[in-house]
Amino acid sequence: MQQKKLSSFLALACGLLAALPAHALQVVATLPSLAALAKEVAGPHAQVEAMLSPRQDPHYADAKPSLVLALNRADLLIFNGLELEVGWLPGLVRQARNPKILPGAAGSFDASRFVQKLHVPATLDRAQGDIHPGGNPHFAWDPRAGAAIAEGLGRALGQADPAHAADYQKNAAELAGRLRALAASEQKRFQALAAPQRQVAVYHDSLVYLVDWLGLQQVTTVEPRPGIPPDPAHLAKVIGQLKAVHGLALLQEEYYPRSASDQVVRLAGGRVAVLQGGARFSEGQRYDEYVRGLAAAVFAAITSK
Amino acid sequence: MKRTLIFATLAALATRPVAAADLPADASPVALSAEDQAALNAAVAADQAPPPAAASGASAGSNPAISLLFGGSAAAFSRADPQQLGGHDATASGFNLNYLELFAESNVDPYLHFQTSIAIGKDGVELEEAFADTLALPGNLQVKAGKFLSDFGRINPTHPHVWSFADQPLMAGKFFGPDGNRGMGAQLAWLLPLPWFVEAKLATQAADGSCCNRSMFSDAGRPVRAGDDLLYTATLRTFVPLNDDWSLYVGASGQTGPNPQTTGLGTQIVGGDLYLRWRPVADSERRSLSLQVEQAGRRRDLGGKIVDDQAGYAHLVARVAERWETGWRSEWASGVANDPLDPQWTDLRTRHAVQATFYPSHFSRIRLQVSMDRPNWLNTPVYGALLMLESVIGSHGSHGY
Repeated sequence: MQQKKLSSFLALACGLLAALPAHALQVVATLPSLAALAKEVAGPHAQVEAMLSPRQDPHYADAKPSLVLALNRADLLIFNGLELEVGWLPGLVRQARNPKILPGAAGSFDASRFVQKLHVPATLDRAQGDIHPGGNPHFAWDPRAGAAIAEGLGRALGQADPAHAADYQKNAAELAGRLRALAASEQKRFQALAAPQRQVAVYHDSLVYLVDWLGLQQVTTVEPRPGIPPDPAHLAKVIGQLKAVHGLALLQEEYYPRSASDQVVRLAGGRVAVLQGGARFSEGQRYDEYVRGLAAAVFAAITSK
Repeated sequence: MKRTLIFATLAALATRPVAAADLPADASPVALSAEDQAALNAAVAADQAPPPAAASGASAGSNPAISLLFGGSAAAFSRADPQQLGGHDATASGFNLNYLELFAESNVDPYLHFQTSIAIGKDGVELEEAFADTLALPGNLQVKAGKFLSDFGRINPTHPHVWSFADQPLMAGKFFGPDGNRGMGAQLAWLLPLPWFVEAKLATQAADGSCCNRSMFSDAGRPVRAGDDLLYTATLRTFVPLNDDWSLYVGASGQTGPNPQTTGLGTQIVGGDLYLRWRPVADSERRSLSLQVEQAGRRRDLGGKIVDDQAGYAHLVARVAERWETGWRSEWASGVANDPLDPQWTDLRTRHAVQATFYPSHFSRIRLQVSMDRPNWLNTPVYGALLMLESVIGSHGSHGY
């Protein structure tokens, strides 16, 4: 009986191994939004996997050993860069024993290299909080960044799998075009609003790219400094700042705490708009659907009375 | 001729020629005779072209990541010698320097990663770890060589700045030594080609030094005359992601080595560990709950007499809010009569501790810990309370799970 159990277990394990498509390019992305971009550029030629959930704060992911397995068989690793994943990714990459995805190798795709960076600090001091030396890493919100990353992915996928290079280039160009058009039309829609309406507050200083794309004006942050939770004195200051702003929207990602924000809008007036932390890649959401949803959520929050 | 062959083999390994299957369909490799292939390999070896250096990530050029870690505490114990075992523990009432560690790491080239940890403590400067590990060996293998903490259980391979309590568990102090089990040596680690994570490790290390090989040659500093004068450690570890929020990490470790009194069987230590963690990934307060249990048994041949003892601990640590953590730990360690290492430790010793920790940011923490220790050789328990400050500056790498 015991033996039968063991042999059926082994058969299942072998079956699982055999079920993996033998020749599809293996692509692993840290963030679901980057995975969604890769999926569209790669089309049917690659198997794309996201390491994190979109509901998860990418600063503080656990370095689960199970993530090593995906990295071990990856042909291409797509990561955000600018030290967003510095707390958990480097050790996993070393453990993966995969020369294809080592820093500097062709299969190591640092998305931040393709993006116009904002908030590159002039001085570096941790007294300023958890700041990122290379610039603000939260660009995955911005379809203009998405377009540039898609083009970079077209080239990187072509390098990893030259047989389908033409397909990747074509998909990338098509996707980049669509994202730039989307960026422009949303920008126009927001620009039509009066300037005071476009004032927003944010929880963590992570929406600068969204603010820049939609032509918003960021009045203040709930966190006094990046990564430092607010204390009551700081909140009182924030409430003071926000009372001057009429009908304000407080934007924050779904993985940040809500109670301080709820109190702020209760006392200062306005509303909290909780934004999706990333594309719902595992549920099949495309990147353009995701950023369109973001713009819609922000628009609804700043235009509702 | 022989040398050329060695070079050719090395070059072939180093350059990892592209397998035909990896090439695009329209670029099939030219068919080569065996001689031509050998000539090609030799030519590559002769040119000895240095491989392209691994470009570093987005940041900081080719500088290694360097950080300084500090731990200091104010302690109050109910007796002058509180019987603490760890080299980084507070050992007296008043102010204690637990550790100052200089930590540096970097990829060396596309093949090696190097890291070192140099500790400055109450006993002076000490090289804790300095080792290179491979990045790109075939066959899912990874080799580590240098001075490193042995991969036995969960506490031993780690440094105090990742511990959940302010002192070293009794098990580690009694079996491995105040600095944990470590030494110069080499380790081979294999990631098994399975659909779930299983890693097997086998290491051999020097067996001397009272800091770090307490159950082996301790202070003896003996020359290595044969293979059984070295320490061998084997570990098997598997990770089970129960779902997004729950994970289970279990391991088994075994160690065999010499001791000064042995008549041939030496010392063996066998242990098991379990780490069960609940961390809802979408929780905005970053709450988590972790249960960690380690148990080890030791068997020593002391002048022909076989002596067994056991030790272990269990701890439960709860991250209750973004900045707050609390934890409880219970420990046990048995003793035997006429133990040359611990003559007084003839019976069970237990210790219990609770801690509460505040994290001002990701880079610092302040921990309050109170404990009650019952060494069998004292009539009254030892009570302790300490307040510990820990901080990290600079660029510090990521930690394991």
